[in-house]
Amino acid sequence: MIHFENVSVRFGGTTALSEVTLEVPAGMLCVLVGPSGSGKSTLMKLVNRLVEPSAGRVLVRGSDVAGQDPARLRRSIGYVMQSTGLFPHRTVAANIGTVPRLLGWDSSRIAARVADLLEMVQLDPGLAERLPGALSGGQAQRVGLARALAADPDILLMDEPFGAVDPITRRDLRAELRRIHAETGKTILLVTHDPEEALELASQVAVLRDGRLVAEGPPAALVAPDAPDFARTLLGGGQPGLRRLSLLPAEVAQDARPAPADAPALDEGATLADALSRMAETGRDVLALGQGSLRLEAVLARGR
Amino acid sequence: MRAGEIGRALLLASVLAGLLLPWLTVAPNRLLPGTGMPGFSALGWAGPAALLALALAVPWRLPAWLGAGAGLAGLALLLAATGWAAAAALEGMAPAARAGLGGGFWLGLMAGAALVVARAAALPTLGRVALAALALLVLAGLWQAETFAALSLVVEYQARQAAVHAALLRHLALAGAALALALLLAVPLAWAGFRRPRAAGPMGAALGAVQVVPAIALFAALIPLLAGLLALLPALRGLGLGAIGPAPAVLATAGYLALPLWRSILGGLTAADPAAVAAARAMGMTEGGITREVRLPLALPVFAGGLRLAVVQAIGLVTLGGLVGAGGLGALVFEGLAQFATDLMLLGALPIMALALAADALARLVEQRLGTNT
Repeated sequence: MIHFENVSVRFGGTTALSEVTLEVPAGMLCVLVGPSGSGKSTLMKLVNRLVEPSAGRVLVRGSDVAGQDPARLRRSIGYVMQSTGLFPHRTVAANIGTVPRLLGWDSSRIAARVADLLEMVQLDPGLAERLPGALSGGQAQRVGLARALAADPDILLMDEPFGAVDPITRRDLRAELRRIHAETGKTILLVTHDPEEALELASQVAVLRDGRLVAEGPPAALVAPDAPDFARTLLGGGQPGLRRLSLLPAEVAQDARPAPADAPALDEGATLADALSRMAETGRDVLALGQGSLRLEAVLARGR
Repeated sequence: MRAGEIGRALLLASVLAGLLLPWLTVAPNRLLPGTGMPGFSALGWAGPAALLALALAVPWRLPAWLGAGAGLAGLALLLAATGWAAAAALEGMAPAARAGLGGGFWLGLMAGAALVVARAAALPTLGRVALAALALLVLAGLWQAETFAALSLVVEYQARQAAVHAALLRHLALAGAALALALLLAVPLAWAGFRRPRAAGPMGAALGAVQVVPAIALFAALIPLLAGLLALLPALRGLGLGAIGPAPAVLATAGYLALPLWRSILGGLTAADPAAVAAARAMGMTEGGITREVRLPLALPVFAGGLRLAVVQAIGLVTLGGLVGAGGLGALVFEGLAQFATDLMLLGALPIMALALAADALARLVEQRLGTNT
C-alpha cells in the first residue's frame, strides 16, 4: 500500500532521512518509533507530500506521489495530529465534514456521515453543534480522528495522536484505535516516541534512529534476542524477555497433552506473560489451557 | 456602601457642584462675555427637584429600573428648566442678547448623564435600549416644544442649520474616504508582511514614523508637498487633486490610520492557530482555501478591534481638515475659535464627540458579534 524506496530527505544542510526503504502492506498498523529527531515524522509526511524526498521514491497505492496533485492526494489520506488542529471557529460537525465538503459531497450525505462517525468514535451526538473550545482533550482527539476518517480514506496518518492527553484517556483512545483498525482494516501509519504504545498498537514496527531505519518487523520479533540491539533496548524497556512474552498469545506454546486435574486454568486470550505470572503466583509449572496444557519449559522456550 | 454606590454618590455631588457654579451666562450679544447665574438661582424649584430625582439613582437597594428612570426624569427636568430659565432671563432684553450655557451646566449635565448610565448598567440589554430610546424621545419632545429656543447654542444652530448639516456630511465623507484609502494601503501591506515576516519590521517602522509627526504638522506639510507634486504633474489637477482642500486632509488622516489597520490585520493573520493551518493543509485545502476558510475568519476579531480604533481616530483627526480648507465640522470649530464664539465652537465639537461615541459603540457591537463566533 505504501512503499518507501531509498528515500532521503535533506533540509538545507541537515539530513533528516537517509536511504530509507520500507514497505507497508495494506491493512497494517505500522508504528514508526524512535527518539526525537530520528526522522519518524518526516518519513510519515512523505506519504501525503507534506515533505518532498530529496532522493528516492514514495509509492502510494502503487504510484509515485511525486506525480500526483498534492491537494487531491491529501484528501484521499486521513491525517490526525497531536495538537488536533481543529478549526476553532467551526462546530464539531463542520470540522468533521471538512474533507467531504472539499470533495463536493452534498450536505445531507455529509450530515449522515458525521452522525455515523460520532457514533464510531463514541461521542455524544449532542456535541455536533459545539465549538472545539468546549471539548475536553480526549473528546477533541476523538473529533480529530473522526475528521480524519470522514471521507473513508484507505490510509490514515497519525502524528503522535495521543501525546497530549492524560494517561487514562490515552489508554481508552488506544483501545478505540485498535477496535477501529480491526473493524475497518485501514492501513495506518502512526508516529510515536512511546515504545510501549508502539508494541501495544502495532502489527508492524519500524524503528528509526538518526534518519536511518534500524529495524523493522512484527513487534515480537523486535524484542527477540536476535533483534538489533538498538531496537531491543528501545522497545524492551529493560525487560525484553517479558515484553516478548507479553506479545505472544498463550496458544503458540500450547501442549496437546491434557493438564493435571488440579492445574490452575488460564483465561482465553491470555498471553505468555500472563501465563508466566499465573505460574509465579500459584507456584505450579503446568497450567490448563483449553483442552490441552501449557508447560513452563514451553513458555521459556518462546522467550529465546 | 458598595463601590458602585460610592462612584454614583460622587457623580451626584458633581451635579450639586454644577448647580452651585455659573449655570447660565447672559450677555448683551454673541461675542461679549456675559454675567454668570448659579444653577440654583437660575433654575428655581427645578434645581432641588432634579437633584432629588437623580439621588434615587445612587442606592443599589432601589431597583435599577426605578433608579435609572428617576435619574432620566431628573436629567430631563434639568434640561427643560435650563431652557425655561434662558427664556426668562432674556425677557425684556434687546434681540441681540444671548443666554449661553455656563461651566456649571456642562459639569452638571455630564455628571448626571454618567450617573444614569452607571445605574442603567445593571439593567438587561433590552432595558438599556428601551431607556436610551426613551431618552431620545424625551429630548425630541423638548426640542419640538421649543424649550431650548432661547439658548444661545440653539440660536446659533438655527442661524447656521444648513451649514452645520453640510459640515456633518462632509466630515463623514472625509473620514470615510480616509478610512478607505488607509485600508487600500494597509491590506496589501499586511498581506505582504504576513508572507514575508522579514519585511514586516521595516513596514511597521515606516508606518510608525508617521505617528511620530504631530498631526497638525503633517497636515500643514502636505500642502507644499502636494503643491510641488501638482507643479510637476499638472495632469493630477484634472483628477480633482488640490494642494489645499480635501486631498491633504484625507491623505494625512489615512497616513495615521494605516498603522492600526496594518497592525491589526497582520496580528489577526499571524494569530491563526498554526496547528489549524497545518491541519487544513494536511487535509488537502489549497492555500487560497486556507486563507479564506481558516486564516481570515480567525483574523476577523483582531481586525475588528483595529478597525474600531481607526474609525474613531478618523472622525477625530479629520477635524484638523478644517485648517487646510477641507471643510467638515472642524471648519466650524476653527471658525468659532478665530471669532472667540464659544457657541460656534460647540456646534462643531459636540457633533464630533457624538459621532465618535456612536461609531465606537457601533463598532464594539460588531466586534462582540465577531468575537462570539470564535
